[in-house]
Amino acid sequence: MPVPILKQGDILIASIQAALSDRDILQLQNDLSERVGSARSRGVVIDLSALDVLDSFATRTLRGIAYATRLRGAETVIVGIQPDVAFAMVQLGLTLEGVATALDLEEGIALLLRRGKGSNRRAR
Amino acid sequence: MAEPGHARSNELLPREMEITDRDVTRRKEFLEFRSEDIEALTKLNEVAKKYADPVIEDLYRHFLAHEETRAFFHDPKMLERVKRLQKDYFLRLTQGEYGADYVANRLKIGTVHERINLAPTWYLGAYNFYLRAVAARLQEAFEKDPQAAFSSFLSLMKLVFFDIGLAMDTYIYAREMTMRKQQESIRELSTPVLQIRERLLLLPLIGVIDSQRARLVTDGLLRSIRANRAKVVVMDVTGVATIDSTVANHLLQTVTAARLMGASVIVTGLSPEVAQALVGLGIDMDKLNTAGDLQGGIEQAERLLGYRVIQDEPEAASAGAAF
Repeated sequence: MPVPILKQGDILIASIQAALSDRDILQLQNDLSERVGSARSRGVVIDLSALDVLDSFATRTLRGIAYATRLRGAETVIVGIQPDVAFAMVQLGLTLEGVATALDLEEGIALLLRRGKGSNRRAR
Repeated sequence: MAEPGHARSNELLPREMEITDRDVTRRKEFLEFRSEDIEALTKLNEVAKKYADPVIEDLYRHFLAHEETRAFFHDPKMLERVKRLQKDYFLRLTQGEYGADYVANRLKIGTVHERINLAPTWYLGAYNFYLRAVAARLQEAFEKDPQAAFSSFLSLMKLVFFDIGLAMDTYIYAREMTMRKQQESIRELSTPVLQIRERLLLLPLIGVIDSQRARLVTDGLLRSIRANRAKVVVMDVTGVATIDSTVANHLLQTVTAARLMGASVIVTGLSPEVAQALVGLGIDMDKLNTAGDLQGGIEQAERLLGYRVIQDEPEAASAGAAF
């Protein structure tokens, strides 16, 4: 089932509701890549608060999304990693190095706005 | 003869102390304690029964004549009870059964002596007295055959050293248990996570950080980050006893996990020596955001969060203090 992607100004928000299959997460990567281009978005927030587990494939793909969207001029922030998930990830050496993180959706959006990667007014 | 409950408790101690049947066999092999010795000892049983009371009397006279051991026998009723138990022990040395039950019994005796705080010196000294008292009695009993007396004595000596080995193990085991309990207490010293400003947490680490504690600390921190919506954590390690590469890796994991939740960690309290040692060990210190001391760390954290601290004029402060 594809992950719904919402648009808020210059920012795209993807909220992952349940454990994703490898196919679903690759689909997300494609969708975001395309939407960043078509909507000329400057920031992406991926919300993982509903997940209680995150495997190495998903982690690698999320990094891939961050790097790919950066190449298209957008900054990605991963938010909502829960304590148990964070702990399990570091035990497995999955650090999401090089990818911005924030506590939740609110913080993620605030971070993007601070970095000038999103605004409610379009630059002319 | 042994009731079920008794038999069960006999199994517990050897298993707790990890003294297996194989272990017992190897000990006896090392002492060269063989079937000939068992035979020789069993033959001594009649002699032992004859001499048990006088030997025990001598032993306790010896105890009462010395300050260090006298202290244990101030109660006459207790003294009588102990003498009876001592006689059982003495006779058991020549009863020919030296298997699992015997071992369990010896371990129990050792444990009792350790618990009453009888130091090894006096415990071993008592064994020495035993051996000499028995040697004298054997000489008497085997007057016509000194060779038999001597070889019987050697068999007894092997068994006594077997007993001493077991007794010493109970002492060592008891000390190990105490140390483990103390470590548990240190571990249980709760590690509070304190909010010192909006979005700013302080995590003072004290004591030993092993993997179990590291897990508890990390878990507590991550939950606090979520509950307090913290963006910065100052983790102070001044009170951490030893910071080797294992501990450093635990700390790095904690820092990384916090970052995954959007909080940055400033580590304070790493002494220059420790910092150098960690660099030398190849720990990737780049991943670590550090400040020299707690004050520096908190100031850095406040700056990160956009706080500015302004100090009032000195006069104002002293005026308030005058009275």
